[in-house]
Amino acid sequence: MKPNVLAKKIGFYALIIIAWQGIDSAEIWPDNIFPSPFEVLEDLAYGISDASLFFGIGTSLLRLVIGLGIAIAGGLVLGIFMARVETVNQTIGSLVLGLQSIPSIAWVPLAILWFGLTDSGIIFVTAIGAIFAVTINTYTGVKNINPSYIEAARNMGAKEGQLIITVLIPAAFPYIISGFKQGWAFAWRGVIGAELLFSFLGLGFLLNVGRQLNDVSQVIAIMIVIMGIGILVDGVVFKRIEDKVMTRWGLR
Amino acid sequence: MGKLEAKNIEKYFKHDGKQLKTLDGINLNVNDGEFVCIVGTSGCGKSTFLRTIAGLETPDSGKILLDGQPLSDTGPDRIMVFQEGALFPWLNVRDNVEYGLKVAGIPKEKRNEISHRYLDMMQLTQFATSYTYQLSTGMKQRVAIARALVMEPDVLLMDEPFAALDPQTRDLLLVEMQLIWQKTKKTIIFVTHNVAEAVVLGTRVLVFSHRPAKIKKEVEIDYQRPRLTDDENLLPYQKKILAELRPEVKK
Repeated sequence: MKPNVLAKKIGFYALIIIAWQGIDSAEIWPDNIFPSPFEVLEDLAYGISDASLFFGIGTSLLRLVIGLGIAIAGGLVLGIFMARVETVNQTIGSLVLGLQSIPSIAWVPLAILWFGLTDSGIIFVTAIGAIFAVTINTYTGVKNINPSYIEAARNMGAKEGQLIITVLIPAAFPYIISGFKQGWAFAWRGVIGAELLFSFLGLGFLLNVGRQLNDVSQVIAIMIVIMGIGILVDGVVFKRIEDKVMTRWGLR
Repeated sequence: MGKLEAKNIEKYFKHDGKQLKTLDGINLNVNDGEFVCIVGTSGCGKSTFLRTIAGLETPDSGKILLDGQPLSDTGPDRIMVFQEGALFPWLNVRDNVEYGLKVAGIPKEKRNEISHRYLDMMQLTQFATSYTYQLSTGMKQRVAIARALVMEPDVLLMDEPFAALDPQTRDLLLVEMQLIWQKTKKTIIFVTHNVAEAVVLGTRVLVFSHRPAKIKKEVEIDYQRPRLTDDENLLPYQKKILAELRPEVKK
């Protein structure tokens, strides 16, 4: 990041905190409704000191990684299958579009009935919330592959299985990576939402605890953590992969 | 019996619900080591014919024979060099060149050895680890040719590979292509809409009529190599071919 961009960002966030502190000092609302930035920071520090925050982050991220991993594997297979076999697209494809419109939170009751209040239930909600985004992007990516790539590979002797691994997935990768990115966003929302409703460990659970204890600063602290992880994953992990892919594939 | 034979190839395409005849019973016999150029107007069906030989299109009737054996599917015995190269942007130059060897299950050391030879032949050695976005159009076509040559195909099929090149790069590659042909003794079928290019490269030039495509005229070119595009002795051949081609453009 260029220094002046960084300076703008730091300035912007500093302004928010100053404004926040200003409103708090004006004593419009009581502290148990509108905490000061310092109280939120204190809560964060407390969470770090007794490691409960790290435990929460770790639990949520583990569920996210497993759920997203399942979604990526399943979405890739489903998307490629849809793109290569017209009947699959006409049948399963239409169902996928329908299922994608269901918010992941709406899967929670079913997950509780099927899995009980367990890790598997939360992972199920995470995975199902992300899988269709990966599927649809993979499908679009494979459909948009330059036909010469596939012809050249077949001409050089690639069989269907080799074609999938060595051409379809890499050629569709610019789309697939958007699928991963969307999938991750859905999965992250899904995991936090499911933890809230399951009330079984993780950052979502900590949010719920904050609410039950009437601890507004804890609620806000956890929300900041959720946002921070989001920024980190989007801005660092995905941005780097995307930049590299876009350059190499000649898309910029 | 020729190296490659096309027997009465017919091909139709659907267009506005009608069957449009594209290839009108083409017969061709290519001998081993021949450099056959096919010229025709844009969209005349010459690329379709080449793709049919490659097995990327299925003829509606007729058959393609290689060494007397009928062919159905595409395969590494007839390798195609595409107009835009069709290089894989996710692989570097060496991995692109080795692609066909890799899917054939040839071990890494052997692959490296073979690719090294052809990278050297195409003067690409110093670009072995470059990616396609770092290469000029001319370089990309060199890679595409190297990628085809490593397969050591019986027949090399080239579909307007130099169409997108600037004239200087094209002239250079036209000379190199002749040297490669002399060195490897490959049987080559080369499709182009550029008459000068066909005359420089071919031992024989076939003029295709506009849709439906038929072989309208064959011109043998027996002249020393390497030939240059500005060689005046080649002009009579060009004129002869252009005279055949001109009425086709108006169709």
